[in-house]
Amino acid sequence: MRNKMLIDRRTSLKGIGATLALPLFESLGWAAPGKEKSFKPPVRLGFMYMPHGVIMDQFWPKNPESFLTAPPPALEALRPVLNHCLLMKGISGVPIAPFNGAPHALELSTWLTARLPDANRRNQIHIAISADQIAANYVGFQTSLPSLELATMPQTHKENQEGLNEGYYSHCSFRSATQAVPAEINPRSVLNRLFGKADAAGDGRKPGTISPAQALDRKMLDLVLTGARDLRRKLPQDDQHKLDEYLDSVRSVERRIAAIEHRQQEAALEKAGVSVSKRNSSDSPPIEVKIPEGDKRSEYMQVMCDLNVLAFQTDTTRVSTYIGSTPNGVSYPELGFKDEHHSQTHHNNKAEQVDKVAAITKFNIDQFAYMVKKMASLREGDGTLLDNCIMMWGSGLEDGNKHTRENLPFILAGRGGGALNSGRYLPDTKGNQGDLLTTLLTCAGIPLDRPIGIATKQIKEMVAKV
Amino acid sequence: MTKTGIINCHVRALAIFGFAWFMLLPCKAAADEDFATLQANAQKSFRDGVAPFVKTYCAECHGDKKRKGGISFLAALKNPGDSSSSKRWKQALVSVRTHDMPPDDTAKQPTAEERQKFLGWLAQLKFLSPQDPGPFVIRRLTKVEYGNTLHDLYGVDPAVAQELPDEVFGEGYLNTLSPLQSEQYLAIANVVLDKILARDGATPTAVQKRLFGKTPSSGADARAAAKVVARSLARDAYRRPPTEAELDVLLGVFDLARENKLAYPAALRLMFKAILVSPQFLFITPAQEPEPGREIVPLDDHQLASRLSYLLWATTPDAELSALADRGQLHDPAVLKAQTKRLLLDRRSRALFDGFGAQWLGLGGLAGKTFDTAKFPQMTSGMRAAMYDEARLFFDSIVRDNRSVVSFVDSDYTFLNGTLAALYGLDKTVKGPEMRKVKLADANRGGILGMPGILATTSFPNRTSAVKRGVWVLEQVLGEHVPPAPANVPALEKQDQKKVANLTLRQRTELHRTNPVCANCHKILDPIGFGLENFDAVGRWRDQDDSGGAIDAAGELPGGKHFTTPKELKVIIAGRKDELARNLTEKLLAYALCRQLEGYDEIVVDRLMETIAKDGYRIQTLVTEIVTSYPFLQRHIQKQAVALSHEK
Repeated sequence: MRNKMLIDRRTSLKGIGATLALPLFESLGWAAPGKEKSFKPPVRLGFMYMPHGVIMDQFWPKNPESFLTAPPPALEALRPVLNHCLLMKGISGVPIAPFNGAPHALELSTWLTARLPDANRRNQIHIAISADQIAANYVGFQTSLPSLELATMPQTHKENQEGLNEGYYSHCSFRSATQAVPAEINPRSVLNRLFGKADAAGDGRKPGTISPAQALDRKMLDLVLTGARDLRRKLPQDDQHKLDEYLDSVRSVERRIAAIEHRQQEAALEKAGVSVSKRNSSDSPPIEVKIPEGDKRSEYMQVMCDLNVLAFQTDTTRVSTYIGSTPNGVSYPELGFKDEHHSQTHHNNKAEQVDKVAAITKFNIDQFAYMVKKMASLREGDGTLLDNCIMMWGSGLEDGNKHTRENLPFILAGRGGGALNSGRYLPDTKGNQGDLLTTLLTCAGIPLDRPIGIATKQIKEMVAKV
Repeated sequence: MTKTGIINCHVRALAIFGFAWFMLLPCKAAADEDFATLQANAQKSFRDGVAPFVKTYCAECHGDKKRKGGISFLAALKNPGDSSSSKRWKQALVSVRTHDMPPDDTAKQPTAEERQKFLGWLAQLKFLSPQDPGPFVIRRLTKVEYGNTLHDLYGVDPAVAQELPDEVFGEGYLNTLSPLQSEQYLAIANVVLDKILARDGATPTAVQKRLFGKTPSSGADARAAAKVVARSLARDAYRRPPTEAELDVLLGVFDLARENKLAYPAALRLMFKAILVSPQFLFITPAQEPEPGREIVPLDDHQLASRLSYLLWATTPDAELSALADRGQLHDPAVLKAQTKRLLLDRRSRALFDGFGAQWLGLGGLAGKTFDTAKFPQMTSGMRAAMYDEARLFFDSIVRDNRSVVSFVDSDYTFLNGTLAALYGLDKTVKGPEMRKVKLADANRGGILGMPGILATTSFPNRTSAVKRGVWVLEQVLGEHVPPAPANVPALEKQDQKKVANLTLRQRTELHRTNPVCANCHKILDPIGFGLENFDAVGRWRDQDDSGGAIDAAGELPGGKHFTTPKELKVIIAGRKDELARNLTEKLLAYALCRQLEGYDEIVVDRLMETIAKDGYRIQTLVTEIVTSYPFLQRHIQKQAVALSHEK
């Protein structure tokens, strides 16, 4: 299926004379040009994480009937877009035995992998490719960046529960079983590198134009890569693995430059009257992103959300993962208390601490709501950007107090281009985290050669009937 | 540059006799013989001691049927000398010593004598590990190293690297590159070139003249001239002579530029840019291909120069080191030791504190740590910086004066400025922003145990923690392994607030020791922390804690040593010279090797300790011993994948 698509696009691209050094251009557009009216925008897949679980009776709706009209307190900010949201109670997490002493090291790292690290190699990263990276492998070649990984704070927590590698504490994206994907935490550098410095200054220049010097850089990188491959051949095996990360990374730079070149060619063609654009004329213009001056957490998280929206809106990537908060040492002075998130989640049902956890949860969902509401406000194709996204917010624990993971809290926003049956609360869903991820990827049009992690089935109730 | 810095590396596997292959052979023969005896004894201990003990007391829960806590001794019993087994034995040692295992509620309990014997046997198992220096996988320069390298080679501000993400540090420095990051390398290369090279047509800068030489006159062979430039640029940037194939790649870039009608200087610029984004610059790569068929190979002199220079300076080897590597003399132990001392005495060795010292002492996170600012308004960024600098200057003074490692714990001086002096109550005599050496009259201070930065990082945002401080002293100062707390342990805040309202923190902490599961470990941890209770959560002296109750700083260390004040605790800890020195040696060796110590490394450390102890535990000796140790000079390589597939 994939190959067929590639061939079609290759043929059409040869027609426009693009340099085909890389497979990337082969299907940049999201619809074959021709039908003026309805380009079908691609489905984008986004994940946003909060650790330590929720206060359950403030998160789960009372019943399916009241979901839209009287949502639970935690979801208040989502009210305007609730009919685009899907909640399902009954999705269980990965059982963590034999790592029972490592609930927090594993809540994040199992979240998108739906499986446990290899117990015999626990001091190394050895888990599985994560759902976002599976998606990136499939759709990533069509955009400048295969995927975008963001986090609010450095992934530098130092603790190894149950002898597990410390990397498990603060990573949820894994390019392969042994390769954690680091997240970007500096919004300015994401903005500058992805969309060009011009946007930061807000002068409204169109993002992503490249100079002849950059085009030359791409060819230079090509030669450097050749040299790197020579070097690789001479190295012992473990050195080779290390170097592969470099090769991966540089290839993606090459590709970004090439993708922009391609866009310029598209634009030139459009000017000449040949319609090849991915964008409809009625689509909203790219949003403006402003980097906040202070260190307010809400503003920081919102700019990360903005970057996510912009990356999706401009089709810079179709897969994003945002670790809104990691399972360690985070506090929320903005909420008027200094306690660390984790310490409050062991609340033993004491009202004061329960309230603090609820406030932290609401704070995190508010930021997610900020992002999806923005998506809902942007026109794209026949609907909104949100219509074409699947945005999943969630936590790897249900109840931080007891480290349970029977009913993991999830919010799915967006319809995935019509694949998801939204605007509902399903109080009695049967399935696990792997099932959920497997179903989501399928809805996003990603064919899977095997289920994700512990998955045994697809969750049919989620899917819109065709 | 961030202080939290970077631990470039840290942590992982094995080792050996402190003797490198090229060292005195007669000694090695004798050592081999001794070693064979030790190995035979270890086999006997394992067979007659360890294995029966494990089968009797552990295997029921940690064997083939059950794997409680994910732990089984099955593999370790089969291959007791494997590096993976050594971790299991270490765990067993800690659990059995602290009486954490077997659990109190199981019927079969070893007698005290059996426990002691078991611990003795376990200590011998290291001799079962095969001689192995462990891997030294090519590694990428950290952000700090990369910035420093650009500075030293081309004179740009190291801050040019500041937009790179910080490394994940600690045990698994995840050396992964995100796509964004190599874009940043490219962007930084552009910034560097803009800074040091003149614009097209302008008069060349001094750096440019030094790097590019003269532009060949028209008619001369520009490509030949470019090759000379490529060779010298690559020699510096790759930290070794480039191969002919590598030069060809660079000349390919030069040709590309010429094809695109770039002038000679602009073509060199593109070639230079290619160097700055090449893996040979961004990674420390070997100069020589390993001899086929060998799995343990010596580092070549260029690799060694880089390893040493990045360890002590966090930057590229200087001209002297490079020249020694070019001449193939660096691996001579006498030369290597002399170079190590030279590097240590150079001001750039501050990198050793920023990279290693700060992490060892736990100060890396101080700048970003949350404090209750209502309670501790003095924890400004200026105060945090002064705390960090105090530790840094103190560390540096010990290295520079080549003092014994004991002086880390027991010294009568420190470094203060006006801000920090307030915490010492010395703000009447020490004023102004400059840090200076200050003689201390109060013996409760002086040394890392009474240093505010450390007392603050081992506290909660609003109060002290006897437990955190106890763990810190045991793990960071004495090098003991403390088992992690079981899941679901409530913090002290969970105690019934009414009941504990009038108790001191010590009394509250002691409450949780009424639980026998907690007591096993906390009876060891907490008393050490209590000994430091006179220092509040930011390191000020106090006689009463927050409850108004008087501080009781009495306690005892395992082995029955009593103390009643921080001063006395300090004396006891300073007396444990072997443990202090061994701990620092292990931690620095792990840092130097970029990996955790395992199995055979223990024997290496044993050897190093003999020399270090003989020299009175002096710090420079400790460092030179590490740098000339077997695992620092050798590496274990994996066979290439090709070879493996042929075997199949």
